[in-house]
Amino acid sequence: MKPPRVGIIGIGQSEFKARRDDANYPELVREGVTLALADAKRELKDMDAVVYSLAPDALLGIGNAERLGVDAVGARNKRFMRINTGGATGISSVITGWTHIASGECDIVLVAGADKVGESGDSQTILNKIWDPTYERALPLGTITMLAMSAVRAMHKYGLTEEDMARVTVKNRANAAKNPKAHLRKVVTMQEVMASRYIAWPIKLLDACPQSSGGAAVVMASEKYIKANKLDAVWVSGVGHCSESYYMGDRMGKKIMADHADAHALARSFERSYKMAGIKNPTKQVHVAELYAPFSNTEYHAIEAAGVCKLGGSLAMMREGFFDLGGKIPVNPSGGTLCTNAIAVSALVRAAEVTLQVWGRAGEHQVKGARVGIASGNGGDHQFFGTMVIES
Amino acid sequence: MNGEIGVAGVAIHAPPRTDSRSLEESIYAVTWAALRDGGFDIDDVEGIVVAGNDELDGRAIAVMMASGPVGGVDRDILSTPSAAEHAFVLAALRIASGQFANQLVVAWNPLEVDSFSDALKVGTDPYFHRALPQDELATHGLQAAVLEAKVPGVREAATAIVRKNRIQGAIAYPDRSIGVMETVFIASGRPTRWPLTDTMVAPPAFGLVAMILGSKEYLSGRKVKNVSWIRGLGWATEPGFIGDRDLSTVPSLDAARKQAYRAAGVKDASTFDVAEIADATPYQELLAYEGLGICKRNAWIKHVASGATARGGKLPVNLSGGALSFNPVFCAGLVRIAEAANQVRGRAGNHQVPNARRALAHAASGPAMHYNTVVVMEGGRS
Repeated sequence: MKPPRVGIIGIGQSEFKARRDDANYPELVREGVTLALADAKRELKDMDAVVYSLAPDALLGIGNAERLGVDAVGARNKRFMRINTGGATGISSVITGWTHIASGECDIVLVAGADKVGESGDSQTILNKIWDPTYERALPLGTITMLAMSAVRAMHKYGLTEEDMARVTVKNRANAAKNPKAHLRKVVTMQEVMASRYIAWPIKLLDACPQSSGGAAVVMASEKYIKANKLDAVWVSGVGHCSESYYMGDRMGKKIMADHADAHALARSFERSYKMAGIKNPTKQVHVAELYAPFSNTEYHAIEAAGVCKLGGSLAMMREGFFDLGGKIPVNPSGGTLCTNAIAVSALVRAAEVTLQVWGRAGEHQVKGARVGIASGNGGDHQFFGTMVIES
Repeated sequence: MNGEIGVAGVAIHAPPRTDSRSLEESIYAVTWAALRDGGFDIDDVEGIVVAGNDELDGRAIAVMMASGPVGGVDRDILSTPSAAEHAFVLAALRIASGQFANQLVVAWNPLEVDSFSDALKVGTDPYFHRALPQDELATHGLQAAVLEAKVPGVREAATAIVRKNRIQGAIAYPDRSIGVMETVFIASGRPTRWPLTDTMVAPPAFGLVAMILGSKEYLSGRKVKNVSWIRGLGWATEPGFIGDRDLSTVPSLDAARKQAYRAAGVKDASTFDVAEIADATPYQELLAYEGLGICKRNAWIKHVASGATARGGKLPVNLSGGALSFNPVFCAGLVRIAEAANQVRGRAGNHQVPNARRALAHAASGPAMHYNTVVVMEGGRS
């Protein structure tokens, strides 16, 4: 059965910063909600359901913190559920919003969340607790060391260099400087990136995302509702998820299930989204991409997983400006997760930014003529992946 | 909701304390048991929704560990940490969307934390409530206290419900029975969260539940028998701050019931042959009687005393023994749905209601029934 058509009718993003001492957690959730509702020209009372986007409880220090957000999203006595797939949570929540409507159960759904990663103390200490307590937690793994190992593997397999990594940061910071919502908006040079200190070789400080605080929301509706209320919308044409093994050890050595240099499951997720959207040649059919990449090296395998080029092929294309704002397929014109990472909503922001792009409302970082965009989210220890195709 | 969706496989596991299997191995075991129950193989599964609780699991993202044992690698898997029963709701929606022909649902409640109470206390806001201290059982106690203040004689009905469910639990699952007591001992037990006594609630238990759901077309194509069809589905939430609530009422249950009954074309509870409803405390079962249209509060005492909700009664409630007999806290709600599904599938074992055709399931979870989910299910042909 072909799923019914579902549109996005409004998005909202707060300003993302290192700290938001001026707003507590529910207030931060409400910021994104208020902006999204205003964008959609709807009110809380109009919503049939709310999907709540919240990744690890531990980053907020509150168990089942979604319960504290119930009134911030106006869900009292309404349909409400929380989604968590780690860093992919935001896009998984938007896809779950799509599911609520495509199922015929709801006509209009609010998807919302917020995070205060910048106020969590040390997020890497918390994120170490995602690993198995017996086998892998003690290594010591954090998400930075985990993806530094991916970079090392890509160096060996594809010839990735630290300069290649720096090139991504320079591109994304230049894009973020044009995006008023982004957290890190200072333009940086290759020299500055190369001179920044190592965090986990080969990842340097400027190859890494910030710890951001902020909120975001999306309002979605059925085609029937959109037409009946004469609303403007862009359309979700493809959704998908796929996951990899939990254990890092399964991605290394001779008996690997998936190569840690690549994003095998992300590619499978994109295949599923493309199939639903009828996209057979993404290089020709996709105009803009917001790909979840919290570290500069991971943008390369995300691009390859999106099917824009073959494995290892993105390095040369990046050097040639293929993914720049103004290039053939701009990647992360918002600055991406590398410049803003409020984990619970980072992947939701990817979908929201693609929405703005295909709507032609992205302002200074608008990709000219963008009509078809793709978004992705990565979660867990590079384990869960969600993808979307959004079209005007 | 688009199309018809059925529950085709169910497994409920209550590993004994002597079981040396890890949580992952137990999740694997319950997953396979549900698949086998419906005649499925893991290769048949198109998508998965799981639910675990980070604090109880001792992991920052509980779904990560579970992905392997439920067969999540290379599959589309999501998690709903808000409630185990939300995994069931989302699985049904995912099939109704047309994206999937089937879904596997798995949830669990381990007992590995040093203090179950302390783990759940973290679920309160850090400024106003955490210092009280207030765990989930304390909120259930507050709810019971409000009812005792507002409904004269309610304690008598509450103790009778504990006895009813314990007797039913001993018949349903004699191997895990926590004993049947006279009501006088139930009411006079040691206060645990006043006015609740330690004999009025069941201790937290290690438990797991798994189900396989499919579309009508898919299940018909596989010639699956013993299907429980979802006729109505409703879910809703209370506000986050307990101080904002009148704990003697459960408006979100009213909202969830309206959604489910409307979808199923049900006017009241007289249409059901059997019900499995939330009973973390006996007071919650009473509140659910009212919220589900079984009986209003002014008739609670008479209704319970009449045996109308006991084995052999007009509408038997919690023939499995409910959470008052076996309480895997985080997944107790999903267990209610699984038990109700098994009744209309004719696979409820010792506690089967003969020829049960229409079942009512109600799940509640979180502090003082924060989340409420109502499912109307029917057996027989689609």
